[in-house]
Amino acid sequence: MDLIPQLRRAILAQSLPPPSQALLTTLTSRSPPPPIPSLLATAKARLLASDLTNTTGTVVDPSMPVFPPNIDSATVQESTIPQNTHVQVLDIENLSLSRWEQVEELEAIERGERTRGRQVIRVTDEENGENDGSSSSTGQTQASRAGAAASGGANAVHRLVLQDGRGKKVFAVELKRISGIGIGKTHIGEKILLRAGAVVARGTVLLTPENCALLGGKIEAWHEAWMEGRLARLRESVGADRPQ
Amino acid sequence: MTCVTGHLTNVEFTSEYKNWSHPPPESLFTAPIVTNVHDDKKDIAKNIADQAKYARLLVIWTDCDREGEHIGQEIVDAAKKGNAGIQVKRAKFSNVERAHVLSAARRLVELDEKQVNAVAARIELDLRIGYAFTRFITNNLKHLGGPLADLVLSYGSCQFPTLGFVVDRYFRVKNFVPEPFWGISLMHRKEGKQVKFSWARNRLFDRMTAVLLYERCLAAKKAKVTKVQEKPTRKFKPLPLTTVELQKAATRLLRMSGQQAMTIAEGLYNKGFISYPRTETDRFDKGMNLRALVQKQTTDQRWGPFAQGLVNGGFQQPREGKHDDKAHPPIHPIAHVAPTALTYDEGRLYEYVTRRFLACCSEDAKGMATDIELLFGDEQFSTRGVIVLERNYLDVYIYENWTDSTELPRFTVGEQFEPTEAMMTEGKTSPPNYLTEADLIALMDANGIGTDATMAEHIQKIQDREYVATTTRGGTAATEGDEDGPDEAPATRGGRGRGRGGRGRGGGAGGSARGGRGSGLKVFVPTQLGVALILGFDRMSFETSLGKPFLRKEMELQMKAICQGSTTRRAVLEQSIAQYRQVFLQSQEQVGVLKQACREFIFGQGPRA
Repeated sequence: MDLIPQLRRAILAQSLPPPSQALLTTLTSRSPPPPIPSLLATAKARLLASDLTNTTGTVVDPSMPVFPPNIDSATVQESTIPQNTHVQVLDIENLSLSRWEQVEELEAIERGERTRGRQVIRVTDEENGENDGSSSSTGQTQASRAGAAASGGANAVHRLVLQDGRGKKVFAVELKRISGIGIGKTHIGEKILLRAGAVVARGTVLLTPENCALLGGKIEAWHEAWMEGRLARLRESVGADRPQ
Repeated sequence: MTCVTGHLTNVEFTSEYKNWSHPPPESLFTAPIVTNVHDDKKDIAKNIADQAKYARLLVIWTDCDREGEHIGQEIVDAAKKGNAGIQVKRAKFSNVERAHVLSAARRLVELDEKQVNAVAARIELDLRIGYAFTRFITNNLKHLGGPLADLVLSYGSCQFPTLGFVVDRYFRVKNFVPEPFWGISLMHRKEGKQVKFSWARNRLFDRMTAVLLYERCLAAKKAKVTKVQEKPTRKFKPLPLTTVELQKAATRLLRMSGQQAMTIAEGLYNKGFISYPRTETDRFDKGMNLRALVQKQTTDQRWGPFAQGLVNGGFQQPREGKHDDKAHPPIHPIAHVAPTALTYDEGRLYEYVTRRFLACCSEDAKGMATDIELLFGDEQFSTRGVIVLERNYLDVYIYENWTDSTELPRFTVGEQFEPTEAMMTEGKTSPPNYLTEADLIALMDANGIGTDATMAEHIQKIQDREYVATTTRGGTAATEGDEDGPDEAPATRGGRGRGRGGRGRGGGAGGSARGGRGSGLKVFVPTQLGVALILGFDRMSFETSLGKPFLRKEMELQMKAICQGSTTRRAVLEQSIAQYRQVFLQSQEQVGVLKQACREFIFGQGPRA
């Protein structure tokens, strides 16, 4: 009975991006319909993996709130976001580390080395050695590789590129540290809810733990491309991309 | 009673393998080897055999470490040639002070066969691996002519990783790309005093973001004090002295080479002035009578009064580190010796050992720290003032210092003020420094290259081979990431972790002023030959390059495992030989890569086409 509004309420209660009618209809069309919790889980997975700028309405509601038009104006010293707005992450940088430092770390990982603490260098490629590759162990190694480049201490400052449902991109900086944000933690395509009232200064959203909710998710293809291109982008940004 | 001078025997390949190119070097991994008495040790061996004829009991008094145990076995073998039935015992001791020696003589033990086996495995591996690769490298590179034509290019499983560290750092310096960064500095004048506050974000590598945050500070106009806390703080006294720390200190503070320091320390040990200088232990056994050792120092002109103070009630049990080799205590003075009885360098090293020991038996330096935090807009700033109240160990440990910071004006929580000055600052990252000997020792130690006793030799070896050269670092450099950084930490913190800030290396602490203590410090840079060898092997890109520490570290762990009885000499030999042999075959296949690296770096023929 009235499964669609019920499901919609459940989705919105979790601060997830608003679902499109089409998504709700498809999910609830099975007969007999699965219980709400499993419908919600499916909806959540679809929403968080979707591209918010896709306006065909198959997953997200194309009429969801977006940034005000002048949000990226550098001449406006301070404004606020008028209503709760869902965005997706396109890029993340750690502004507290020099790019070169990150290049060196990534290069070391590429060589299968890792510097731990005080210059202890170790191989990370032990996955194939002992347990002949159960897929979970390789998965772990990959996770730890990403983790190696993650870092981001208590005072780290990250800058994200966020995109709204209409494709508008803005910078966002951690005004206060948000522990869920970090390279290796934050995925490309991850969804964030920016709450009404969040401050925008000179075109940059100032993030605090109170004014945003990290919803998780990622867009697999974007994330992979981002990971693969990271080293090259870092090298390029410091002018070290010239052949040596 | 008689003596030896180090190892009596050596292992060799049989005479069919004397030729460098035939049989081919890879056959050396499995070629038969024989143990012979060194030519110049034949008299010593004969003497032992002769003496054994008239003895029922042989007591081994060689140094109590792995090598010493093996030498002990060599003596036993020599003695049994004279008297097959001789009974054998081993004396265990850590210094040659009379009472200690007497007590060791009363508690004789057996020779430790496991340690003997570990060393035997090490010797065999060094021989096979060293010879095979040395011949391989030399034979192949000879044809390139020029400086390589008549050179023996030696390979050692410790030498190469050691060289690898030097080369690695060299390229990190060479490839370094400086980057600008920005920050906000805050200064306030109050009660005639000036305070500088530092930004919690320290620095940002993006100008736009820094400007944005700075602008918001200015817009807020007033800063608000959020925390004023006064609490006791302390600077920790040093840990008991290990070999590695001794070498680092000697190179850094006394400007000796690690090898010099070890030679001098051994001399002091042989004369009975200090305890055995090869130890990994940084905790004193609870049962040791340290007060008695302190007492012996009370007659000294320089630190006698300090030692007397400890005897009179100032004594504190030393801190306990995490390492214990279960064989020797930390390095400490055994007897007092007047400086006139020692050479200049002996005197300085003895002084360091003694001052360090007395510092260990003293108390942490104590002070009072005031932390002030404030919010300026949304930005946090803080400052810290320290007043040193009791110097304690610093009075004797002249190698460290701790001074009062500038006095802070009084602030109260909730107080608001308009800062006298708020500025955006700009800086640039600076490259890391070339390795000092202390850095290199620390790297070798952390990566299991060599033992504490042999590290200095490997460092000397790569210099003798002209794989690395030393140069003097300019006046502005400072020791980096070293133990003597500010060990200051709040006293309230439970664990006594060393207050070593996790300061990233790469990227450097640019912008922040560095102490100028390291002026004229010796640093290592690779020669063209050194670079060519390491890059040659690195570029072959098999799993573990010979220039990396991994293979050797594994071998070192295997030695330890033999000593602990968890594996056997045979198993280790089989495994390690197979491993290195594999690397050898791969190197052979890709020898062109090594040659190309030589052409590139030695003959300047440009990178790979």
